[in-house]
Order: sequence, then structure tokens, then C-alpha cells
Amino acid sequence: MASPRLFSTCHQPPFLPPSPQRFVKSPAKRRPIRSALQFNRKPQLAGETPRIVVITSGKGGVGKTTTTANVGLSLARYGFSVVAIDADIGLRNLDLLLGLENRVNYTVVEVLNGDCRLDQALVRDKRWSNFELLCISKPRSKLPIGFGGKALEWLVEALKSRPEGSPDFIIIDCPAGIDAGFITAITPANEAVLVTTPDITALRDADRVIGLLECDGIRDIKMVVNRVRTDMIRGEDMMSVLDVQEMLGLSLLGVIPEDSEVIRSTNRGFPLVLNKPPTLAGLAFEQAAWRLVEQDSMKAVVVEEEPKKRGFFSFFGG
Amino acid sequence: MASIDSSLQFNSLCNLQSSIGRPKLQIPSTLVLFRRRHKNLNWVQLETNPSFVCKSIGDDPSTPDEEVQNTQNDDDAEVDVTTTQSSTAHDSESSISRFRSMITTLPPVIFVVNKCSGNSIWIGIGIVATVLVASIRAYAIRNSSDNRPAGSVADLVRRGQLRSGDRRGISKALNYEDPFNNPFVKLGKGSSTVEMCGKVYKLAPVTLTEREQTIHQKRRSRAYQWKRPTVFLKEGDSMPPDVDPDTVRWIPANHPFATTVSDIDQDLAQNNVYQKQGVPFRIRAEHEAMQKKLEALQNEEKLNNLGIDSENARDFQRPYKFSGKLEDENVQKSSQENHTGNSSSEKTDKS
Repeated sequence: MASPRLFSTCHQPPFLPPSPQRFVKSPAKRRPIRSALQFNRKPQLAGETPRIVVITSGKGGVGKTTTTANVGLSLARYGFSVVAIDADIGLRNLDLLLGLENRVNYTVVEVLNGDCRLDQALVRDKRWSNFELLCISKPRSKLPIGFGGKALEWLVEALKSRPEGSPDFIIIDCPAGIDAGFITAITPANEAVLVTTPDITALRDADRVIGLLECDGIRDIKMVVNRVRTDMIRGEDMMSVLDVQEMLGLSLLGVIPEDSEVIRSTNRGFPLVLNKPPTLAGLAFEQAAWRLVEQDSMKAVVVEEEPKKRGFFSFFGG
Repeated sequence: MASIDSSLQFNSLCNLQSSIGRPKLQIPSTLVLFRRRHKNLNWVQLETNPSFVCKSIGDDPSTPDEEVQNTQNDDDAEVDVTTTQSSTAHDSESSISRFRSMITTLPPVIFVVNKCSGNSIWIGIGIVATVLVASIRAYAIRNSSDNRPAGSVADLVRRGQLRSGDRRGISKALNYEDPFNNPFVKLGKGSSTVEMCGKVYKLAPVTLTEREQTIHQKRRSRAYQWKRPTVFLKEGDSMPPDVDPDTVRWIPANHPFATTVSDIDQDLAQNNVYQKQGVPFRIRAEHEAMQKKLEALQNEEKLNNLGIDSENARDFQRPYKFSGKLEDENVQKSSQENHTGNSSSEKTDKS
């Protein structure tokens, strides 16, 4: 049996960190902000760009939008250009999680109607200028029947051929369910990330969604198990991550523990991965984003929490 | 537990003391007091088996002239100790003297006592102060999280969500760490545990094989037969004859997709998406429409102005001789025509 490896293999040794790069706007081209990693280690991008990833689940409320926001911003922090598309036509939430709700003026519906250009509908995040948001529609506007999926394909083609270059990642936040919204969202995707929670209802819906994705030709599907509670797993009140994997038969991209910081970050419009110091769930999202870039999967999972051994001087406040 | 451990250590030291011999130096009373606290710890062991311990202590004849206070908590042990207190007082004194002599004969202790004989108070104060500071700090940390108002600007800065230098333009670039190699992630020995954000988790290897994945894929392909819908129809619409029924998706009448009525052509929509620069289609179309309307209005105004111009009308009038009355009448007529011309021009302006 191979030794358990929690982390993906990285054979590059860390070397001296570079000086932080300043963001300079040239009149012809905009340079994206490069994140200054302390250890100057960047994930190696695998696969053809742009990588079009749809984040779906089937069941609602499992954390698709949270995963989209946090993984997308993590990718932007690693230095990749990211376009996040909120493909939920009726209920739009991704802009709220990112704190960009006041800056969405145009959506894809306006682009289709000719009210604005595509670049005018893209909302660039001021914190990380290589991250852009595109919303499909405002809550009261509607998308014409029949060319929802085609519209997304046109969008992807237009993003590939834009003057500032093709983005590295196009992340599509899929709506819940398996109706027209789901079909629209998965149309241009090459790979999928399935978000689920360790309960029976989510697993059954997830299994159905995986079947539909495979019927539609998407074979590269990875799983993120969200809202994991190790105390309940220990008490056998919740399925373990290995049980979930055994039921669905998918490789693991990430395991996100239950964290109250998620609710705070949602209400404040400040994604979890931007917290300093990082939280548990934020670290897990960052690791999942790393594996997504390298097309890697988890080799070992957390099973339960162990009591921490405290040293002699712990009572001094350590 | 610490007290029992220390008592065990003292017992082992007591055994050592007999081989070392009696002390040569006199010990100050303050040090004796400090030792007395350690002596109290011996009574913890007495709780468990008081009679046996007292008897074992009482076997040693060498005793100092001191009394030991009974600080025992257990009632049964206390009863036993009180019954044997008279006999054990002598025994305890001997144990105390043994302990004292043992301590003083240890070379490091002798050195410290010789060196810091005058500073023992300060050492004690230092230790007490350290313990006090640690306890106050722990208490303050516990209370600060409760007392700090959540959601305040200070709270956001503390949590790292808001940087005070951002608004003033003096913030530095953020440094983010490698998620697998940073102070918050520590892999345990043998890769069996990992510590993340202060919590230790046990790890287990993933057991999914490729064969199992293939089995799941085959199961799903048998269970879920699905074709991508290419035709979307409202409920009540008739199905076209040459369309595969499996590719038809029926939209409920109250669904947002079903209620959309759009005049936009697909090709036009595609062109709108691919447009990179220039004015968007609808804006341009509206602008052109407005321009046309404006031009039309301006042309209409010109025509109206040509028809009612009195100066031009005079040029075309024939010259003829007339009396003063006629001239007055003509002047009146021309003034009336001017008025009517002004009113008509006003009407055209209003329209």
C-alpha cells in the first residue's frame, strides 16, 4: 500500500521569495496583479487553456457558490487569470459572496440584446485584477428559450479571442437541479467539480448528476466534500469521506470542514481564502484549488480530530 | 498528578538522602517555609494509603524539631491521620529532616544556595509573577473574544479582512503562503496526523482504485440514459414531426424561460457577443433612430418656415397705387399676417 500522502507531489524546492511586484497599468495592456507567495512556489498548470470547469451538485445549499468564489479567488491569487460565470439565471448569488453586488450593471442578457459589449459586462475585482465576474442575468430579466447553452458557448469563444488574451480558467457556477439551467451551465464545460455533503440526500442527487454529466461527455469529474464534521464522524452520526467516495466512486479534490467563518464571510462579501490568518476551511479551499490546477487528487483524507498534546509550558498561554 | 509525581520524587530523594549524610550549612527559615509546601504534597499520597505510609515514615529515627500541619482533604484519611497523629508527628519530623538534609547535600542546590542565599525572595517573587502574568493573559484572551464587538472596523482589521493601510494608500502587497507548507499546516511523524490551524487530525489513505471507478461509471451509464435536449417547447405547444422526443424539453408555462418573448435573432445575438469594440448594437440602433427622427423634425420645421415667411410674401406682391386708407389697411393686414405667421410657427415648434 502506498504511504498516505495528503498533499500533491511537488518536487520543486522552495527558493528565495521575490520582491513584491507592483501593479502598473500600461496604456495598451493591463498587467494582472501577481500574488507574492512567501515560499514562491506556484502550482504547475496542467491541461489545455482555457480550462472550463463547471461546479455543480444537484442538490441546493451544499456550497457550490461558496466553492466557486473561494476556489476562483485562490486561482487568481496563484497568478492565473480567471473568469467566473454565475449561470444561475433566476437566483444570482455569486456577486454577493464576492462583495461585487453593487458593481454588476450589465449581464449576459444585455450583451445578447446589444445593450453593451462583453467587456462592459465583465466585473473586474479590485482586490485581484486577474479575477472577473460575469453574471448571466439580473433577477427580473429572462433568457430566451433555446439558446441558453449556445449563449454560453458563444461567451467562451468570445473570451478566448479577446484582445487581453484568453483566461486560464473559466469557472461556471451551476444552478441547483437538473433542468434547463443545469443543461445551460454544463454546455461549454470540459471538466466538472461536484460539491456534496456527507448526507444521503445530497449523495443520491450527486449520483444522478454525475450520470448526466457522463452522458453529456464530461468525464473529468472530481468531488469536493463540504461541511464535514469530524466529531460527528467519530460518533458515527455522519458518513466519513471515505464512505462518500466509496458510494460515488469519484476522486477527491478537497475536503472542507464545517466552519462558522463561512457564514461570516458570506454575509460580509469577503471570501474565506482572503482571511489572514487563514481559517481551516480557507486552507482547505486553497489546497483544493492547487489540486485543480495540477489536475491532482487527494491521496489521504482527514478522518477524525485528535486531542492535541500540550507541552509543559502550555499554561503560559501557548 | 503533578503533586503525586513530586511526592514520588521526594520519596526517591529521601532514599538517596540516607546515603549522602547530614547537611553542613544552616538553612534559613524562608527556605524551610518553601519546603513546607512540598511537604504538604506528601499528604496527597497519604490519602490513598495513609496508615501504611505513616508507618513507613515512622521507622526512621532521625527527626528535626518541627511540626507538620495536616492539610488532608479525604475524611477517612483524616480520621486515620488524627488517630495516628501523635505517633506520626515524630515520624514526619524525621522525614522532614531527612528531606532537608538530602536537599542541602545535593551539589547544585549547595551552589545555588551559596550563590543566591540573599536572592531567594526575588526568585520566589519572579516565579509568582510569571505564574500571575500567564494566568492573567489566559483570562484576558478568554474574555477579549467575548467582549470585542463583532463586525466593528477593529474586528475586521484583527481578522485580516480589512487593512487599515488600504484607505490611506500605504498598504503593502499581501503575502500569501503556500497552502501545503506554512506554519498553520504541520504534517505529523509518519504522515499519520496533520495539524491544521491548531487542530490535529488523523489521516487515512484513500482506497478508491481505478477498477472501482470504472465499475461506478458502468453502473451509472446503465442507470441514467439521457440525451441533451435541443428543442425547448412550452407546455401546450405541438411537437415538430422530425424531432426526437428524447431531445425535447418541456418548459412549464410559468417558468422564466417560457415567458420570454424576444425579437432578437440568434445570429444577431451571436454577433453581439463577439463584438469587441465600438458602440453596442442596440445603443447604436437607438441612437440612429433618434438621429433620424431629429432630422425629420428639422426638415419639417424648415418647410413650415418657408410657407409662412411674410418678407418673402411681400416680394411677390405686385406694386400698385393706392390711397392712404388702403395703405393703412395694408399695414393692418400685414400686421395681422405677422401675428398669424408667428402663431403658426409657434404651433409647429410645439408639435
